[in-house]
Amino acid sequence: MEQEPRIGVFICSCGTNIGGVVNVPEVTEYAKTIPHVIHADHNLYTCSEAGLTAIKESIKEHNLNRVVVASCTPRTHEPLFRAACREASLNPYLFEMANIREHVSWVHPHDPEKATRKAKDIVRMAVAKAALLEPQTEPEVEVKGSSLVIGAGVAGLTAALSMASQGFKVYLIEKEKELGGIARRLYKLYPTLADSSEVVGPLTKDVESHENIEVMTSASLKDISGYVGNFNAVLTGPEGDKEVDVGTVIVAAGSSNYTPPKGLYEYGVHDHVITQGELDEKLKKGEIGEPERIVMIQCVGARKGEIRPSALEAFPKSDTAELLRKILKARKEEGWPYCSRICCMNAIKNAILIKEKSPKTDVVVLFGDLRVYKEYEDFYRKARDLEVRFIRHIEEVRPEITRTPDGKLQVMAYDALAGLEVKFPADWVVLSTPLIPSKDEIMLGRMLKIPIATDGFLMEAHLKLRPVDTNVDGVFIAGTVSGPKDVSESIVSGEAAAARASILMGNGKVRTDAITAVVDEDLCIGCGLCEEICPYGAPRIEDGKSKIREILCRGCGSCAAECPKRAITMRHYGDNQLLAQVKALLVPQSHEGGLT
Amino acid sequence: MVKENLGKVAEGEFEPLIIAYCCNWCSYAGADLAGTSRFEYPTNIRIIRIMCTGRMDSTLVLEALRMGADGVLIAGCHPGDCHYQKGNFMMEKRFDYLKKAVKNIGIEPERVRLEWVSASEGGKWAALVREMAEEIKQLGPSPFRLRSIPKKTDAAIDAFKSQRLRWVVGRSQIKVEIEEQKYRQTVDLIMQVEIERHMITLALKEKGPLTAEELSQITGLQPNKTMQHLIALRRDGIVIEAGEKNNQYLYQLV
Repeated sequence: MEQEPRIGVFICSCGTNIGGVVNVPEVTEYAKTIPHVIHADHNLYTCSEAGLTAIKESIKEHNLNRVVVASCTPRTHEPLFRAACREASLNPYLFEMANIREHVSWVHPHDPEKATRKAKDIVRMAVAKAALLEPQTEPEVEVKGSSLVIGAGVAGLTAALSMASQGFKVYLIEKEKELGGIARRLYKLYPTLADSSEVVGPLTKDVESHENIEVMTSASLKDISGYVGNFNAVLTGPEGDKEVDVGTVIVAAGSSNYTPPKGLYEYGVHDHVITQGELDEKLKKGEIGEPERIVMIQCVGARKGEIRPSALEAFPKSDTAELLRKILKARKEEGWPYCSRICCMNAIKNAILIKEKSPKTDVVVLFGDLRVYKEYEDFYRKARDLEVRFIRHIEEVRPEITRTPDGKLQVMAYDALAGLEVKFPADWVVLSTPLIPSKDEIMLGRMLKIPIATDGFLMEAHLKLRPVDTNVDGVFIAGTVSGPKDVSESIVSGEAAAARASILMGNGKVRTDAITAVVDEDLCIGCGLCEEICPYGAPRIEDGKSKIREILCRGCGSCAAECPKRAITMRHYGDNQLLAQVKALLVPQSHEGGLT
Repeated sequence: MVKENLGKVAEGEFEPLIIAYCCNWCSYAGADLAGTSRFEYPTNIRIIRIMCTGRMDSTLVLEALRMGADGVLIAGCHPGDCHYQKGNFMMEKRFDYLKKAVKNIGIEPERVRLEWVSASEGGKWAALVREMAEEIKQLGPSPFRLRSIPKKTDAAIDAFKSQRLRWVVGRSQIKVEIEEQKYRQTVDLIMQVEIERHMITLALKEKGPLTAEELSQITGLQPNKTMQHLIALRRDGIVIEAGEKNNQYLYQLV
């Protein structure tokens, strides 16, 4: 930027949120004394229509070429203010925010004087950075109207069908021979008690017969390269490799069922100790009959240990597969830390199925906590009406398997309500086990560069705001790949992921973030360290110089921090811009503040 | 300008100024949550937003200390939670060396901290600021504020800008062929050597041609060590002989 910076500063009172603590008029007067500040004003709400209009008018009136808003966190309001700048023909990257609400007034409510001083410091720092900001352009890329869906469970099938119906070409790959995923093996679904095949059957048929969907079974993703809008995937199946070009990817690779280690509750030792999934199959085949008593034990292998497990020690190491094997093995012994959400309903459903067929069978459900949400409460009541017995045991004292004097299976538990030890001779013991991340799915996450959450599932871009997006542009997640879900929830997430992908494909183009690395080719010696460090494969050495492929660069800045020649800088977060803030704080030039 | 503002220490209670480089995705959001949750903490911290701790060049920390920050906090996502997969791990590796360098130049290493604060840990953020502010209050003002600038500082900043040290530190981010312990020792050694060599080059830059003996006196390095460095610097084409003084060679920057 050749022009002299002309900075406008707008200070927000946020009603009384800021103004009630920070002396806003004083900060405004102070702002006027900071070098390069041409105009400073304060509003009751800078984010209101009036506040935004004031910014836009001031840009024109004072010929401002930089804007600073001192208000709340940029994490929520930066896009709004940037848009206002853009509307006033100012490049949105010539905008900087000073957070004087979350980082000042809300945390220092009882010290208005120091809070005001801190607000002045923060404004001064923001102005210093603003003076060095440069306009940036967000690169625009074409998005191909085709998608790759990995996994043909209900989530993947739903997503594929949704996109295909909108006219997009879909490649659907499934690692098993048949479509349908976990749901294909289920018997009845809660809460309607409909046959799983009633859901999976039609879905599979529609997908198989759709002209826009190309299905590959016994297939997997061998390799993928490219970026949002332009992925190149190598699919491998019984008929060899196939290369496809797609604009988006939906990962719906599912999860696995936890299998208890041999001996846990005598699982794998006594053939009448089975998992809820195995019970499903036996009910389907009618192999349970009319036994005297069935005891179900909840949370087997779930809600164990710390929520923050060591699982992700896997990250910095190169041999992920080996580490994963170790982690999964350790978890098999220790159990998984989270609640799998569907097991309570699953147990209640199977209890009802047994009771409806054989009312005389005593069904006992031993639980630490029972989680039945929304209308499922009715389903739980139905089970109680059918005289299914729900007995809470103390979380710390797990039930135990013993034998009756005549050698029959028996479950011993501590009834927390009665304060008694209770014994149940049982014909069958059914263990409710969680859905767990599968090794294949984690390896897939690694290949696609999707972060893996600490519980081992693939991580969404934002737990609340972007639940089916990932941190990789153009790659979405659906179904249990991001955590346990039941069939209807998997369908919802399949529809959601398809909708998100369709927005990109429908627009046919997308803008990506401008905050990327830049190489000074005069300084670069082509050592290739950046190439090795980058988690996204953005830098590549060509003709002895590092070239950053902007579309792949996510802007983390690791390459800039490590470049031996300091040839790499970050757009919008350059060393000079960061140090200008430090300098403005500690060694201000012509006004109060700084070290005292 | 720098010097004019240093050295002023207010009467009354010492209020440290701490710079916090917070990553956008976890720690900046964690500090936001402290606000949303109205967790109170002292006013000593000033946050600078970065995208990822992986971006933290060690020189950004050293420069902040040099400018008189009483403390520097680097806060990022917990291991495994990094928005960019492994930026925090890279910072962690780098931090080992940085902390040694800080100690090496004569600053209390407690003034520099690397912490993990997630977007959901508003309480942790508030507690961390409280703790760090208190700790630095106990330590007292940064030596830079008191004008007793450790002379190795500028050399350390230059060392962390030098190709040689950056190369070995950078290489430690990726799988190295030799045993890690041994590699770290090598980096430590190179860091030491680079700081010393930059003390020599800074002295030559400030004072013009000097003899090995004079350089040894200025830098406080042993004469034989000074000579070793001069030989290496001459080999690398950084210094060259510039005549003689008292039967000794004079050296100057190329």
